[in-house]
Amino acid sequence: MGGGVNAAARLARPASALLAPVLLIAAWQAAISLGLADGGIWASPAAVVRAAREAVAEGDLAGDLLASLQRDLAGLALGIPLGLATGLALGLSRAAGRLFNPSLTAIRQVALFSWVPVISVWLGNDEPAKIAFIAFAVFFPVMLATQQGVRGVDPKYLEVAVILNMRPSQTLRAIILPAALPAALSGIHLALIYGWLATIGAEYLFSAGPGIGSELMTARAQFRMDQVIVGMLLIAGIGMMFTQAAGAAERRLLRARGLA
Amino acid sequence: MNVAVMEQALPPAPRVSARRPAVLEMRDVGKKFSAGAGAFAALSGFDLTVAPGAFVAIVGASGCGKSTLLRLIAGLDKPDEGAIWLDHAPVRGPGLDRGLIFQEHRLMPWLTVEQNIALALKNAPVPRASQNALIAEHLALVGLEGFARAYPRQLSGGMAQRAAIARGLVTRPEILLLDEPFGALDALTRVRLQDELQRIWLAEGITMVLVTHDVEEAVFLADEVIVMTPRPGRISLRTRIDLPHPRHRADPRLHQHKTDILAALGLAI
Amino acid sequence: MTAAWPTRAGGAVLITAAVPLALLALWQAAVSAGAASPLVLPAPAEVLTALRDMLGDGTLTAGLGISLRRAATGFAVGALAGLGLGALMGLSGVADAALRPLFMGLLNVPVLAWIPLLMIPLGIGETLKYVAISIAAFSATLLHTTRALRQVPPALIEVGTIYRLTWQQRLVHILLPAAFPGVFTGLRLGLTQAWQSLVVVELVASTDGIGYLSVWARQMFRLDQMFAVMIVIGLVGFALDRVLRAAETRLARQWGGA
Repeated sequence: MGGGVNAAARLARPASALLAPVLLIAAWQAAISLGLADGGIWASPAAVVRAAREAVAEGDLAGDLLASLQRDLAGLALGIPLGLATGLALGLSRAAGRLFNPSLTAIRQVALFSWVPVISVWLGNDEPAKIAFIAFAVFFPVMLATQQGVRGVDPKYLEVAVILNMRPSQTLRAIILPAALPAALSGIHLALIYGWLATIGAEYLFSAGPGIGSELMTARAQFRMDQVIVGMLLIAGIGMMFTQAAGAAERRLLRARGLA
Repeated sequence: MNVAVMEQALPPAPRVSARRPAVLEMRDVGKKFSAGAGAFAALSGFDLTVAPGAFVAIVGASGCGKSTLLRLIAGLDKPDEGAIWLDHAPVRGPGLDRGLIFQEHRLMPWLTVEQNIALALKNAPVPRASQNALIAEHLALVGLEGFARAYPRQLSGGMAQRAAIARGLVTRPEILLLDEPFGALDALTRVRLQDELQRIWLAEGITMVLVTHDVEEAVFLADEVIVMTPRPGRISLRTRIDLPHPRHRADPRLHQHKTDILAALGLAI
Repeated sequence: MTAAWPTRAGGAVLITAAVPLALLALWQAAVSAGAASPLVLPAPAEVLTALRDMLGDGTLTAGLGISLRRAATGFAVGALAGLGLGALMGLSGVADAALRPLFMGLLNVPVLAWIPLLMIPLGIGETLKYVAISIAAFSATLLHTTRALRQVPPALIEVGTIYRLTWQQRLVHILLPAAFPGVFTGLRLGLTQAWQSLVVVELVASTDGIGYLSVWARQMFRLDQMFAVMIVIGLVGFALDRVLRAAETRLARQWGGA
């Protein structure tokens, strides 16, 4: 008796979690089928599914996805190491921090996307500009987090290093870097999220070309809401994947080093 | 430092209007908790009677069920077996007739000391007009007059705990329950607050049940010390401390009681 | 005449200004040396002149006014919705369980991804901006309000139980004050995100506002104006950030510690 009730309860929980979304989709489909919403403008869930199947069948989807991800990766590969290095440098040297932080903060205050026009002037409208923009977006969270991580190393541990007569390079390797690792990882976690957003935004604002964002804009121009929704879901889906992957990697790395 | 001098240094407690202490009875009380694999009995077949106005201390190692005991009396949890009566009426859930002091002061950080105490009176049968006077009386009782408008973050640990005690007493409970109230404080503050508690008890005549793992504290304050052993929580020893109040810590008879109780705890483990 | 060492405060200002001043000097030098065409890099002085001119003829104030109005309205709508729903989900376990999967799913779609969708029925009118900005504000406030209410220390709630407070009294005297700092953080983040979304929307789909000004300046190759606009955008962002963070720190200090 007890077992049966428990099993049912366990099944009911994930099922009830889907209740609201399923209801919403059903209501949306009903609204269009019943003519409450204009089927010409609004795409029904059925239309979205059809558009998705089309996109997969025609093979463009994979190409676009790949293009966006490549762009994103290129930007990450540029921005993350720069952010780590700068954050480390500014964190280790009080003087460097005091000199450069005000300027970096000032640059950070300018909303990210308002840099797009500037970058388009200096770097054009194609791949280099997009990748530079992504790297720029990614640089700041990583730099900030790393710097804070380095600065935030418990002075007690640094005292131990002094007592043990450690050389600066030893202190760096054995104490500062491991202690700053969690912060740096959380910065990279943020970078993955912002990087993906910057990628899509870059595809909106710079030149067209292969990519989810570009396709989204094209679909919009053609008033194809079904395709737009497919694109939205893809963007959200990949964003979530990044978040999950980053979180899992962060946990695994920290646990391996006994920090979590 | 001369203990006698310290005790004399405390101002005599102002006589707050008389309370009506009540008798606490627990019969065959049992409480189970489920943790991971299977349930375990925190308390089982627990019997206890506390006379009106008595000061009872309960000592025992962690996990022996003493906190559970207080929560059952306070009505925050319900016993699985047995019954609890206060003043011959069954205990059903929390009530203003029982005051409870925790190890953390649990004062609301965004309220002043007097606002915190007033919170306890929100649903008390005390007319708004007399509430201010009542709060002021209790602030004086715990030696915090002048700190009415202070915020908890401005108080030391000892002062915050005193404010919590004032809040616990302002509802005129028939019994005051204290769950390791001084456990989070430093040794010197602990001694001072033990003296305060003794003074308040002598002035108010309220029934007090104190849970502590500090045997010295127990023998210093209580008329009766109850030693509990864990799993299930049971009484392993009851000792009467028949010494007059106020007591002096240097008293060798206290020391003897302490030794006896520690022995009981040692054997019980 | 005695040479006085710079005071501590003076020294701090000097260090803060050192790198920016150096960059400025470098910038000016590059322009004077003709290293860059004015179409790519205008002289600092020109940017300042452009700034002054645009302030003078009202274009900047008009554009900024429009943008701020949009941001404020969008934020107000989104924040109100976020607070309301957040309160519901924070206080009611049932509501939370029922609605969380829906909203967590929806909130995973960044505002950026919503914009093309919204543009189909709404074109590039004011409504588009309001909706996009309010979505941004809504996400942040919903998340933080729910969390703040669910994270009220149970120890404090228990005090309410002991003193037999009714659920209304518990709400007013314990839950809401305890959640306030967290809610405020949500509002701060919501406002920051509202501002960021405003800029994006004005770049993608607008014919007025400060974001549009920078796009227009870029298209007219008036780089001096473009940089001037960016300075203004930066100043607004700075003001929002600083003021709200200062308020938040004050709040945390007053509310902190149980």
